Amino acid sequence: MGELRQIAIYGKGGIGKSTTTQNLTAGLVEHGKKVMVVGCDPKADSTRLLLGGLAQKTVLDTIREEGEDISLDRIMKEGFGGTKCVESGGPEPGVGCAGRGIITSINMLENLGAYTDDLDYVFYDVLGDVVCGGFAMPIREGKAKEIYIVASGEMMALYAANNISKGIQRYARTGGVRLGGIICNSRNVDRELDLLRAFSKELGTKLLYFVPRDNVVQHAEINKKTVIEYKPESNQAQEYRNLAQAVIENKDFVIPTPMTQERLEEILMEYGMMELSDDYKI
Amino acid sequence: MAKLLDKQRYKCALAAMQTVQAIDRAIPVLHSGPGCAQKLSDGTGSSGYFSPNIFPCTSINEKDVVFGGVKKLHSTIDNALKVIDADLYVVLTGCIPEIVGDDSGEVVSEFADAEKPVIYAPTAGFKGNNYKGHEQVIDAITDQFLEKAEARRKGFVNIWADVPYQDLYWLGNIRELENLLKEIGLTPNTIFGYGRGIENIKNIPYAEFNLLVSPWVSLKNVKKMEKKLGIPYLHYKTLPVGAFETSKFLREVGKFAKLDESKVEEVITQHEKYYYYLIERYADLFLENRVINKQFSVVADAQYALGITKFLTNDLGLVPAKQFIVDDTPKEYREDIAAEFKNLNYGLEAEAVFETDSYKIHEAIKEHDYHGYPLVLGGYYDKEITEDLKGNFLNISWPVRDKVVFDDFIVGYTGGIRLIEDIYTVASQRFN
Repeated sequence: MGELRQIAIYGKGGIGKSTTTQNLTAGLVEHGKKVMVVGCDPKADSTRLLLGGLAQKTVLDTIREEGEDISLDRIMKEGFGGTKCVESGGPEPGVGCAGRGIITSINMLENLGAYTDDLDYVFYDVLGDVVCGGFAMPIREGKAKEIYIVASGEMMALYAANNISKGIQRYARTGGVRLGGIICNSRNVDRELDLLRAFSKELGTKLLYFVPRDNVVQHAEINKKTVIEYKPESNQAQEYRNLAQAVIENKDFVIPTPMTQERLEEILMEYGMMELSDDYKI
Repeated sequence: MAKLLDKQRYKCALAAMQTVQAIDRAIPVLHSGPGCAQKLSDGTGSSGYFSPNIFPCTSINEKDVVFGGVKKLHSTIDNALKVIDADLYVVLTGCIPEIVGDDSGEVVSEFADAEKPVIYAPTAGFKGNNYKGHEQVIDAITDQFLEKAEARRKGFVNIWADVPYQDLYWLGNIRELENLLKEIGLTPNTIFGYGRGIENIKNIPYAEFNLLVSPWVSLKNVKKMEKKLGIPYLHYKTLPVGAFETSKFLREVGKFAKLDESKVEEVITQHEKYYYYLIERYADLFLENRVINKQFSVVADAQYALGITKFLTNDLGLVPAKQFIVDDTPKEYREDIAAEFKNLNYGLEAEAVFETDSYKIHEAIKEHDYHGYPLVLGGYYDKEITEDLKGNFLNISWPVRDKVVFDDFIVGYTGGIRLIEDIYTVASQRFN
């Protein structure tokens, strides 16, 4: 067992962060790693595939109903392959402060001793838009030092990834947080691989892994399972194992160099997206 | 780069709870953290039927931040209505619920059918200081409680002037303004202090006009009332202290109210006779005194800085040095207010400095050549520097530690005399 690696996963809303994180986790488990997944999204759907459904009461719901004097097993459930699963949760949509909710629940996890010595990885699956300081909590001092951004060849996904890099750059100046790379969750956009490589290079990082699109992912989701659990022999299961291997072996951690809007659009033009945007197919 | 603001002379907008408290039988219901009210309450002269220690407060905590504090606010208002016998409940919100986005207005609207009126003023500290908070409370009354009157009463006038508690003379000043208006034949209506409360608030829409005696505070209130209630306003920028300004003030009010000029002149003559009788008796004190006839500075909010500068120049013939305005006057009013300081008798002009940092104010006082002992009228913060310069100091603005004021005042003819008494008491004590 090595040092605990705390990893935050960011990316545009709907890009597949939760799906990727959970399948990646399943891949790590197969490598014998001990993993905890902390969902940092009020929707609380970051551990569904590992737990076989939305089987878990969130930290904030528990605090709301039972107060702060609770034991760890009330908020942490064991999922696929012994993964520890926690959902931060949040207030009802439209009230309260979800950002503060993330801070509250991560503090709670620390106080309750969730970060045990046997863990190899902790993943923070953070909701799409880092709208306020609360959603940057996982990458503040003492938490995740390693970040992966999930993106695709779609313009808005790259725009979000670039924007998130600005946040990482800010926190990297004072803390140890670094960008570990871009994970492409493919949308089968034309020249997607080239575009993502060029984009990653411009950001000063690398394309860590290109996860191809495969409908088995959707089938597994309907069955509330990761692909590795649902169809262990499928090509896609192997892709996620490879992604896990890439994360394990990754040693390139950088302070990203986010680009201007103009430069981002130049890259998109160069790879033909601007012209093709009318008729590209998923 | 972050800057240090040294000893500012105001509090945050939530301190408008003092404005609410100044309305007889009105109570603030605070939607804030537990420490806010404790920090903001000013012990002096604030005990009584309601005191800050019994103000209902949601005392919100982390849970309320995450999940929203509206339920707690609802139950706090509900219970305040049950256990506190007040005539008006004013919900004031602090920073936290305003940042979190609690819809306090919606919660308050659920009490529309309550037996007693409940209104809501957003007074988050980040919105500004307690001068702005004071305006928010009056706007809330206009927006949520008052309706346009079908007919207005001739000669009935609402007076808006000082910010209660922030100004130590607030009660005496507003009463003296009432007295002066009564003398020229008008019927004043004010909402603050003993014997003024919900009935006076209800009477606001019947006024023939609003009289605002203030350089900027409440200007937006009277404009709102003009729009919603159809009440025109007279904006008299200078707090009238002493004979010169008070006579001018009465003439202008009389003209605006279309009063009989001779009646107004009669009142003025009577007051001036007595005023100058007193001044004459003490002429030797003014003329022979060698320690106070030098330059002066006022360190106060725009209301006092302007009123007192004009008084000391126009009535006492003193020469103004720099005058410091410490209320963080909104930028849109500054030019206009600074121009008023150029409009003094004897061809004199004063430079108005808008500065909230006491360090910078004190540096400027140190640098200026007052041609002798400076006379400084300011907050308690300015006492030490004045003493270092062997100057004469009078504590007339917040914070006040040198004087206990029940209902004393500086407004009008009598108020001017009281202020002269205080200033020359300081001067004569030098030789004791």
